[in-house]
Amino acid sequence: MIEFRDVSFVHQNGVKALDGVSLTIGDGETVGIVGENGAGKTTLVKHMTGLLKPSSGKVLVDGVETTATSTAQLSRKIGVAFQNPDHQLFSESVKEEMAFALRNFGFPPEVVEQRVSWGLELFELERYKESSPLVLSGGEKKRLTLACILAWDPQMVVLDEPTVGQDSIQKEKLAGTIKMLSSSGKTVVVISHDIEFLWPMQPRVVIMKSGRVIMDGQAPQVMLEKEVLESARVAQPEMVSFYAAIRDRPRAPFVDPLEAARWLGVMKPR
Amino acid sequence: MMWLSGGFVFRRGTSVYHKIDPRVKLLISVLLFTTTLLARYLYELAIVLAFMLAVATIAKVLRRVGRTMLLTVTFSVIIFVLNFVFTRSLETSALYASRFVAIVVSTSLFFITTSPDELEQVMKTFRLPRDVVFAFVTAVRFIPVMMLDTIQIMDAQKSRGLELEKGNILRRVRNMIPVLIPLVVNSVVRSGELAEAMESRAYGAVPKPTSLVQYRARNWDRLVAAVAVVLFAVTAYSFYFVLQGIFP
Repeated sequence: MIEFRDVSFVHQNGVKALDGVSLTIGDGETVGIVGENGAGKTTLVKHMTGLLKPSSGKVLVDGVETTATSTAQLSRKIGVAFQNPDHQLFSESVKEEMAFALRNFGFPPEVVEQRVSWGLELFELERYKESSPLVLSGGEKKRLTLACILAWDPQMVVLDEPTVGQDSIQKEKLAGTIKMLSSSGKTVVVISHDIEFLWPMQPRVVIMKSGRVIMDGQAPQVMLEKEVLESARVAQPEMVSFYAAIRDRPRAPFVDPLEAARWLGVMKPR
Repeated sequence: MMWLSGGFVFRRGTSVYHKIDPRVKLLISVLLFTTTLLARYLYELAIVLAFMLAVATIAKVLRRVGRTMLLTVTFSVIIFVLNFVFTRSLETSALYASRFVAIVVSTSLFFITTSPDELEQVMKTFRLPRDVVFAFVTAVRFIPVMMLDTIQIMDAQKSRGLELEKGNILRRVRNMIPVLIPLVVNSVVRSGELAEAMESRAYGAVPKPTSLVQYRARNWDRLVAAVAVVLFAVTAYSFYFVLQGIFP
């Protein structure tokens, strides 16, 4: 479990990135963190693994304050896949790249071998296992970073903008992986601007704006708050805006698609 | 890397010194640099450093310069030890170690108060080839980007259990490999992309392009340059003919 207790963080240049954030993420939850650029989403994640320490307030992971432990120890529990895969790939081969973290965490060689094979198979990267990770496509690199994290089986997985550079098929597969992780009891935190990707998972949604949590609740409830979403520059899912509009229309159990389109303002009435 | 960022990356400022013609700022830094080389005793170097700190105060960058000085101490200690091993003279070793600090500060003063655009204009004044100017200025512009990259790469690798601060020096150096490889690869990729972007925006299509900004020295700039030259002449003269009599 992760607890943020009135956490504020001020960068060296004086910019306040987090402002009194109080948030609890329980075990096994699936949470989507959304908000405009610079809202403090990535800063929040960096506090989870102790990469950043709060200027004030407390961050507790399983009851232990992040200031009292190391990033390496916290990372064993919380696996973070950062936005840009090019910031972590360096090994000679895809296989070695996957084994890197496992060796850092002190897994025995036979377990390393076993987990690498499992990860490569799960993310369809087997045929590249001897290739350099640097020659993979953007989507493949992204999958590799996720495979690297899942290989050490952390309790919690944090994905920072996982859909960037992924085609629709890969997005579907990624959504499937997230569902699989959730059903296996893992805590999954997804930071994304891709609201259409988050919506089908029906996660708990945390909306951030200017370093503050402005809304926190289950997706169906949060996504109906159009004004809050707009203030945080988050688009309402197409499906939600459509049904929200239908719901508000008095006595309209059946709607002709053309009439609905006119009524939603897509087409002008003739 | 951090001291490089703090000591050499331009940040917009409103001081009188920031507004001086960049060529005059270059002249001041060159004169300070030369005076550093002319100083043969520690007290002479102390005078030059005092001049530099005075300039830093006028430019309102004293804190940054101070931080740069502190961060150069590691290298100064190495210089001091190496010199002491070979010369067995405390004074000479201290002079060389302090000279290094002064040289870094004199160059730092120019770079932290001169924007990349101004730097480009200064280099053009010397009729340097356009490609050389472009490459140099772009490299300067990319220092903050590379700094950000370094931090993000370090964060990503730490999140995979890499402990950069653990172990002896050799292990720490080896631990930097997962940081340096992505940094170099990203820089090479970025330079390729930049080259393509520049070409697609007609870089090099005009053999002698004109410049939007033309620097013309004002009377104030001329006055500052003249004062700097006079001060340099007086200091150099005193080093060789006056101070030696006072501090034999």
